[in-house]
Amino acid sequence: MVGMNAAWLLPAIPAGAFALLLLVRNFLPRKGDWVAIGAVTASFVLFFFVLHDLMTRLGPNFHGVSTGFTWLKIDNFVLRVGFFTDPIAIVMLAAVLVVSLMVHVYSTGYMHGDSRYGWFFTVLALFTAAMSTLVLADNLLLLYVAWELVGICSFLLIGFWWERQSAAEAAKKAFVTTRVGDVGLLIGVILLWKKVGTFDIQTVLHAATSGQIGHTYLTVALLFMLLGAMGKSAQFPFHVWLPDAMEGPTPVSALIHAATMVVAGIYLLARMLPAYMVITGLGTLIMVIGMITAIGAAVIACAQTDIKRIIAYSTLSNLGFMFVAMGAHALTGGMFHLLTHAFFKALLFLGAGSVIHAVETQEVGDLGGLWRKMPITMGTFVIACLANAGLPVFSGFFSKDLVLEGVMHGNTPYYVALLAWVFLSGIYTARLFMLTFFGPSRDHHRYEHAHESPPNMTLPLVVLAVLTLLAGWLALDSVGRALGFPGGVGEFVFVHEPEAYRFSFTVAFAATSAGLLGVLATMYLYWGGGPERARRFADYSPDVYALIRNKFYVDELYQAGINYGVLGLSHAVAWFDRYVVNDTGVNGTAQLTGWLGYRLKFLQNGKLPTYALAMIVGVLVMAIVALSMHS
Amino acid sequence: MNHYEVLAPELVLLGLAFALVTLELLFPQLRKDLVAYLTAASAIGVLVASAFFANRSDSFKDLIQLDNYTTFFRILFLGTAALLAIASAHLVRDKLSNAGEYYGLLLLGVIGATYMAAASELLTAYIALELLNFTLYVLVSFDRKDPRSGEAGLKYILLSAFASALLLFGISFIFGVTGTTSYAGIRHALEAGIGEYRGTLVVGLVLLLTGLGFKVAAVPFHMWTPDAYEGAPLPVTAYISIVAKAAGFALFLRLFSQAFMPVISDWRWMVALLAALTMVFGNLIALQQVNIKRLLAYSSISQVGYMLIAIAALSHDSATALLLHLGGYAITNLAAFIAIIAFYNATGGEEIRDFRGLAERHAGLAMTLTIALFSLAGMPLFAGFMTKFILFQAAAQHGLLWLSAFGVVTSMISLYYYLMVIRQMYVLKPRDGDGRLRVPLLTSAVLVVLALGIFFVGIWPTPLFRAAASATRLLF
Amino acid sequence: MIPLDQVLVFSGILFALGVYGVLTRRNAIAILMSVELMLTAVNTNFIAFGVFHRPSLAVGLVFAVFVITVAAAEVGLALAIILRIYRQRTTANVDEVDILKW
Repeated sequence: MVGMNAAWLLPAIPAGAFALLLLVRNFLPRKGDWVAIGAVTASFVLFFFVLHDLMTRLGPNFHGVSTGFTWLKIDNFVLRVGFFTDPIAIVMLAAVLVVSLMVHVYSTGYMHGDSRYGWFFTVLALFTAAMSTLVLADNLLLLYVAWELVGICSFLLIGFWWERQSAAEAAKKAFVTTRVGDVGLLIGVILLWKKVGTFDIQTVLHAATSGQIGHTYLTVALLFMLLGAMGKSAQFPFHVWLPDAMEGPTPVSALIHAATMVVAGIYLLARMLPAYMVITGLGTLIMVIGMITAIGAAVIACAQTDIKRIIAYSTLSNLGFMFVAMGAHALTGGMFHLLTHAFFKALLFLGAGSVIHAVETQEVGDLGGLWRKMPITMGTFVIACLANAGLPVFSGFFSKDLVLEGVMHGNTPYYVALLAWVFLSGIYTARLFMLTFFGPSRDHHRYEHAHESPPNMTLPLVVLAVLTLLAGWLALDSVGRALGFPGGVGEFVFVHEPEAYRFSFTVAFAATSAGLLGVLATMYLYWGGGPERARRFADYSPDVYALIRNKFYVDELYQAGINYGVLGLSHAVAWFDRYVVNDTGVNGTAQLTGWLGYRLKFLQNGKLPTYALAMIVGVLVMAIVALSMHS
Repeated sequence: MNHYEVLAPELVLLGLAFALVTLELLFPQLRKDLVAYLTAASAIGVLVASAFFANRSDSFKDLIQLDNYTTFFRILFLGTAALLAIASAHLVRDKLSNAGEYYGLLLLGVIGATYMAAASELLTAYIALELLNFTLYVLVSFDRKDPRSGEAGLKYILLSAFASALLLFGISFIFGVTGTTSYAGIRHALEAGIGEYRGTLVVGLVLLLTGLGFKVAAVPFHMWTPDAYEGAPLPVTAYISIVAKAAGFALFLRLFSQAFMPVISDWRWMVALLAALTMVFGNLIALQQVNIKRLLAYSSISQVGYMLIAIAALSHDSATALLLHLGGYAITNLAAFIAIIAFYNATGGEEIRDFRGLAERHAGLAMTLTIALFSLAGMPLFAGFMTKFILFQAAAQHGLLWLSAFGVVTSMISLYYYLMVIRQMYVLKPRDGDGRLRVPLLTSAVLVVLALGIFFVGIWPTPLFRAAASATRLLF
Repeated sequence: MIPLDQVLVFSGILFALGVYGVLTRRNAIAILMSVELMLTAVNTNFIAFGVFHRPSLAVGLVFAVFVITVAAAEVGLALAIILRIYRQRTTANVDEVDILKW
């Protein structure tokens, strides 16, 4: 019976599709998009078998099943390709595979007619394989390799339309920013390997929790890994690449920059959580970083005018929220939010893509009143928005509630801050759908041309909307048990002990009120009069508005820091760099090497006696030195 | 122990070599490339037969050992000879005369090379060395029409005779000090102690190193190499760069690990010094080359530097790494040279600038050559990286970290001159009038297999590693 | 019996003369002769060590015989190659044979 031992197939099938597409996509009908879709579907179906097998084996002593093979063994340096299946991995895989499949189907419509259509699906297949490997990896080295691989896919896909300068720039920015974090991850991995002697994750975790790794050493290693997580999950101050990543095609934004790759950092934290829990203080650090990101991004989102940017900042904000969850050791809530967020955020992006596809603009200022023209898109979009705001019934409510529950215990100031965050989420979410779909249309020309998207694009929207509506109920024990799980999500994903879903009326009420307040207030602002009322609000304090509009000038700060801060230092450094490092060091070394080679080559003058002389000189020198060493 | 079956494969080869020469005498009108394929086929046949000798341990009168070490090298040499025979087919047919002798000499050289690896006694080793040398003297000067060939042959034979004399003088001293010429006997004598004759032994070792250093082209004994490589016909250049070098190292390794371990403190620094000099000089002068044969000559000199590191850090690990590196090096050099031979057959060019725009003229050829060059430079995923990595790691573990550092730095330098060629092929456009090239099907097939081999060793070196490890286990 | 040291000195001088010849002579055949001189020194060494060892070792003599044989073959080959060069360039002066350089 196919079970967890076949988990390696989950990344292998898309990898095979990638190889196939890489070589022969131009010879296949439709450039082979069906190969990619078929591969993801196969993995998706297989996923259910693996899940089933996992559920039959769940029990108090079950930690996960590992399968794999040894790739390289030189003395005591062992490289293993292994896959570890456990509830955490399953939850993430669900997110990855579902969204990936939806995006694949959606892209057949969105990317239709693109000159590099086949290449798009090739890289998508590679990404799915790499992401699945990352999730299932049982050792840190394999995880790192997969980590880098998804980074490369992200680079390729952000810069998919590389003829556009801004796209190429954005791809570079994403790659460089995450690279900085990746170095941290690698250092952390190596540090742990040196101490524990293996890359195997479960062994490392065991060593960490049983105190085999010194406190300081462990802290340093985990901090470095945190850098990697922060880079990939775009936490402050590494967040600058994510909004720019919107230059990529919208399906890419949905898959990579909302649902899967960006949550890799959170997944890493979830995996290593037992180790992080050993060091007090790390949790607080993570919560603070997450909080800054969450609230900062939410505020910025309120003043953006590009539809994808708004959603991007919303993603950033939710990533911060998940970071807070991990910092509070609320594994269940964090993973569950990861899952639900994947669904509704992907839905938001795909819906936005549907809009963009129809009206060919991304500026919210040009939209409006589209609900009449694109009902399915609107309907699914609103569902996603309400989930994002955390309103009851929708999945966002349940996942946020779980996290809030986890944070509340002993972390009251954070809890209050999170409530503010929920409020802000409500605001920007409502603003988003109000401006896009409701109110009078602001650009009649575009409005006339707007049309609902074809079924291959609306079907994924509907599927994701259904999931957004239903997935939340998995938090409840009764629902979980009905489906065959031992209980709600808390009984499935947990750190030390199962956590039954506690429904605290206070928490739920507080969160819902905050969210509703934000939504209704914004709806009021934008209803009927469109953005005028909002503009008056903005004009109320233009500086603050400008501040928010321009993302708190963080990008400019970086640029200025680079320009001025370094420039002041840089005159001296530049001089040093040009004359010492470059001319003397680099050019100089190159020239010296070349000159040396040039002079030396004339030693070989073609004359035999010279050659013989060289040999004798060698003999004499060696003999003299050897003999003098002995006497 | 008159175990003649130990000698069986080589006796067969001997017969085959003479058969090939006679074949041409008796049937002069026979198509010359058929002779080539015959050679290759028979070499492969003997290769397969010798694989059956694996995991056996035997010896012929304690002069020639049959063990995994011998089998490893036998397979290496026979494989190389077979592939080079195939690659030489067109060149020999069109440009050289006396094809039968050519192929016969190829096989005779393999015999010499194999016995250099298998010898466990100094006289046998010397005879084997000279056997290989003689075949090479003739092969290098084989091209009657090219004045460079004769000159290369002249320089080679005179210098080689000189080096042999030095080598023998050294052997005579070692014989004098230890009273025996068998490797095991020497070790026993050294372990028992030689007291006041230490100085003589050291002089003997210096001379021995000189002679062997000449063979493998270590600096400052390398000066014959660029001239010999440039002057010889292309397949012969490939033959020298792989077979002669590997045989030299095989002898080097077996001799020093079995005979001179007790006095390792005397010679370790000498080998390290040679390694450092070789790496530096080889890479520096390579930067200035314009002829691809000469470039590969200096490239192989620098490769020797890396390999000498393994001997300086002599141990089971480094010996395994050395054999692994030799295996990868053989595959890589074969790929590079066969690609160049194919190019030469089609265009007659052997200057680097002749390779201009090859990517457009024949993508497959350019790709294979690039793969081989990247492997020589030590880029990850290619064989060269993996084998060098293991080599440097083994060396570092035995305290020669500085030497490994040298290796890494000089490897970086080497990337430049390999890229020079790649740049010609990919970045520059072909000259006007240069059209597409045709490469024979068999050659293309061979190149594909070799390129795959480079990746195989680079990504999954375990099988080759295990073979190398079992080969060297008996030495320690 | 001549003491071993003196024999070794003798062979050492021979060898040095041979090396000197290789380094300084310009004629290819003269270089060849110098190498032969070196090989003679080698043979002397082998025979001396073989004879002076207690018990005397046959292998020393055997080695010398082999060296003589190999040297002879080498000379044959070398002369053939020198002849080829001579025919092509009418010179046997190694200084003038330097197309291959740098």
